[in-house]
Amino acid sequence: MIENRLAKKILNILLGNGADFSEIFIQKRAFNNLRLEDSKIENSSSGYELGCGLRLWVGDSTFYAYVDSLEESKLINAAKILSSAINGTSSLKILDLTEAKSSYVTDIRKPPGSIQSDARKDILELADRSARDFNPAVIQVTSTLSDTAEETYIANSYGSFSSEKIVKIFLAVNVVARRGKNIRTGYKSLARSSGYEAFDFKNPADLALEASGIAVTMLDAVGAPAGELPVVIGPAFGGVIFHEACGHGLEADAVLKNASVFKDKAGKKIASEIVTAIDDSTLEYRWGSYKFDGEGFPSSRTVLIKDGVLQNYIYDLRTSKKLGAKQTGNGRRQSFRNVPFPRMSNTFIDSGDEDPDSIIRSVSRGIYAKEFAGGQVDPATGDFVFGISEGYLIENGKISFPIKDTTIIGNGPEVLKKIEAVGNNLDFAPGFCGKNDQLVSNEVGQPTIKVEKITVGGIKD
Amino acid sequence: MQNKNIQNSKRYKVRGSELIGICKDAALKINKHNADEFEIFAASSVENEIEIFKGKVETLSFSDSIGVGIRIFKDRSIGYAYTTVLEENSIEDCIGNAVANARITSSEEYNYLPVEEETVNKKKLIDDRALFHENFLDYSIESKIEMAKKLEALTKSKDARIVDIDSVGYHDSIYETAIFNSAGFCDKYKTTTCLIYVSAISKQGEDTSTGDFFGCAREPSRLDLEEIAGKAANRSVSVLGGKKIKSQRANLLLDQVVSAQLLGVVAGCLTADSVQKRKSLFEGKVGQKIFSIGVNVFDDGTLPDGLSSRPFDGEGVIKGKTSVFEYGYLKTYLYNTYTARKDKTRSTGNAVRASYRSTPEVGISNFYMEPSETDFNTLLNETGSGFYVIDIIGLHSGVNPISGQMSMGAKGIWIENGSLKQPVKEVTIATDILSFCRSIKKIGNDLRFIPASGYIGSPSLLVSDIMISGK
Repeated sequence: MIENRLAKKILNILLGNGADFSEIFIQKRAFNNLRLEDSKIENSSSGYELGCGLRLWVGDSTFYAYVDSLEESKLINAAKILSSAINGTSSLKILDLTEAKSSYVTDIRKPPGSIQSDARKDILELADRSARDFNPAVIQVTSTLSDTAEETYIANSYGSFSSEKIVKIFLAVNVVARRGKNIRTGYKSLARSSGYEAFDFKNPADLALEASGIAVTMLDAVGAPAGELPVVIGPAFGGVIFHEACGHGLEADAVLKNASVFKDKAGKKIASEIVTAIDDSTLEYRWGSYKFDGEGFPSSRTVLIKDGVLQNYIYDLRTSKKLGAKQTGNGRRQSFRNVPFPRMSNTFIDSGDEDPDSIIRSVSRGIYAKEFAGGQVDPATGDFVFGISEGYLIENGKISFPIKDTTIIGNGPEVLKKIEAVGNNLDFAPGFCGKNDQLVSNEVGQPTIKVEKITVGGIKD
Repeated sequence: MQNKNIQNSKRYKVRGSELIGICKDAALKINKHNADEFEIFAASSVENEIEIFKGKVETLSFSDSIGVGIRIFKDRSIGYAYTTVLEENSIEDCIGNAVANARITSSEEYNYLPVEEETVNKKKLIDDRALFHENFLDYSIESKIEMAKKLEALTKSKDARIVDIDSVGYHDSIYETAIFNSAGFCDKYKTTTCLIYVSAISKQGEDTSTGDFFGCAREPSRLDLEEIAGKAANRSVSVLGGKKIKSQRANLLLDQVVSAQLLGVVAGCLTADSVQKRKSLFEGKVGQKIFSIGVNVFDDGTLPDGLSSRPFDGEGVIKGKTSVFEYGYLKTYLYNTYTARKDKTRSTGNAVRASYRSTPEVGISNFYMEPSETDFNTLLNETGSGFYVIDIIGLHSGVNPISGQMSMGAKGIWIENGSLKQPVKEVTIATDILSFCRSIKKIGNDLRFIPASGYIGSPSLLVSDIMISGK
């Protein structure tokens, strides 16, 4: 994308006024987006973006600029302007760039460029038919398919460079079902860091059936209870509780700013001893996986909590330097327009040994929360909420009625200590995580778990 | 700090004519293809972002970007493509992609460009004089950094219990856009906006609390740092020592920001697109009474101080003021040209484009509830006993705009006999969209806008009989 010669030249221009660090991040992306609604292909769009982000540090300050171009003269000009903003004391200069290595290897078999437009359309039409055929109560299906083919090149003043080709596929199916006055929705998505072979992993028709299944089941939903109750959280997307309630507090920028409840807790017991949690950006073809993070550091597996004891935080380069810790390869950014900071990749509670059915049987009155509409946390206090989009009452050890959409609210550190059971059925689900106005791809994951009690925001006493 | 004088925005050169030029060049290239109609949307933005931490610049970023989005109409099908690379062959590729995309989308009889006979407003009601403030250009990077530092210090000084400012930032942008289409529309506008925000962490004993606030305007001099600092500090410390209360039904007094967030949920259900696709609870309800009191709600794209004001919408339709609810009755949905044709009515000028990356969708502009004469203390008195909600969390995950269910986390202060008593946290409030509208009992006089997907304004609201879940 750019010659090392030019990268070196720019890095040195950025260092010219005494910067402590410089970096160049180049990205080229091609997108295709297709949306089906009302059983019609409503929107088909394509996009092309190319640009370069320039970053430097002086003291504790970061300076950033980007250009929508790779023209040598524009890059040099932007680097000069950015460098002129500072007046530092370092006298760094780099002479050579060495390629960084990553252990994560991919083999993309069906890249977006090899796929005909009609094949994209077929995927959405298949999902649409499948969702509608499930039940006559289904009144609307919206499905979207997007693919991204991306190339990145990153070089920095440590004399290291990396390059990566990334392919991502995303399919989402939204179903609306209606009976009388009741309207309910169901949502499922499939997202992989791979080519269209993603659909060998899961058939679009099956995904659509699952979404319809949720919408139609929820038509019979009763009002959720209000108050503190035992909550069994289902596998896969249930992991969003850990992501929100704890993961964000483990991101080192929150720790650095005194805005994390987990500050100064390394080596201390923060969760019940049956909890082990991991962030792993090397899981094959998962939505949150990559070879290199947004700063050119290799992806890795980081144990965050082992047997209830806090082991490690999630770092980018800046926070690892500031806190004197080892890089974990979690410096991520939305695009060349953005500054990287610590972000989760694929974050999950590891498998335990309980049988998921026996976990349900152990609850006499509570909630089984299976799918979620997402959640939010305040890392400084650990207070979180998340919205249950598919939930059920548990009565006498059995799943009974579905419950209407409801929010549960709690405190991350407290909930971690109240985890009473961890199942043996670890599974994952993809999503997007937003922080400081940047969206990145993540997977969340967990087996079935049971929390002693959480406040359920229903409407019935 | 070691930053010298750089990129003073004084050097900013207006580029509207350049954008029109880009559109016209692209138009000539499209003429080679066999399109029925086309539209070119070009946009540029120059942005500045400053984050301060403990009196120092933590991040300073500059951006200057431009992009072009092309819609091709062929046999009543639409294809779209965009590019941020404006070299000749990239534009050619972009056009080629849009033409190819038009081959796979379905054909719809209403898919054609707006024509003049269909428009409600013939003359522009607002222009660059209101949207683009020349004074904005007088502010140097240094002066913006100083403002953010000042806000950090001011907020910290407001209360001894504030231990940290976890984020304080300033963001501004100069945005210019042009639309050129084959039906003869060719126009442009430009805007300036700035936003400043602060989040304060406070501690009392073992309890930690956070609170944030923001201000936004067309130029920095309109940002009231004292007020922003005071509000952020107050939102942080006033809920210190908050406790969970027992589950019950109660009256709620909603802070303006909370009210505006909830009004935004209502707004999202009023686009004709969601109604026509049977995803709105307001389907078939035009002419019906939705609020139990005489609420007036407007979508006004021409408010002089409205950050979503524009001379024309995302497809070139001139913007006006739409009365959405009158005396509690639903008067109309919000339309773009396509959805209006489908309902045999006229566009309300609500085609919204988030950027050149997306096609025009239906969305709000400045959407607000008309304030009353009632001041906050009267509302407080009339609440009697209840929950003053200062902040809600989990709005995006807790509200299902299609089914209408709402359940979200809340913090605030318990009210007894019309006065603020005990801080409350870790509870939820739950209702549904239509019940929420019906449960509004009283409207305050303190209209305030928040930037969301649009610019939404609401006064404080007194709502009755809402389920609170706690212990």
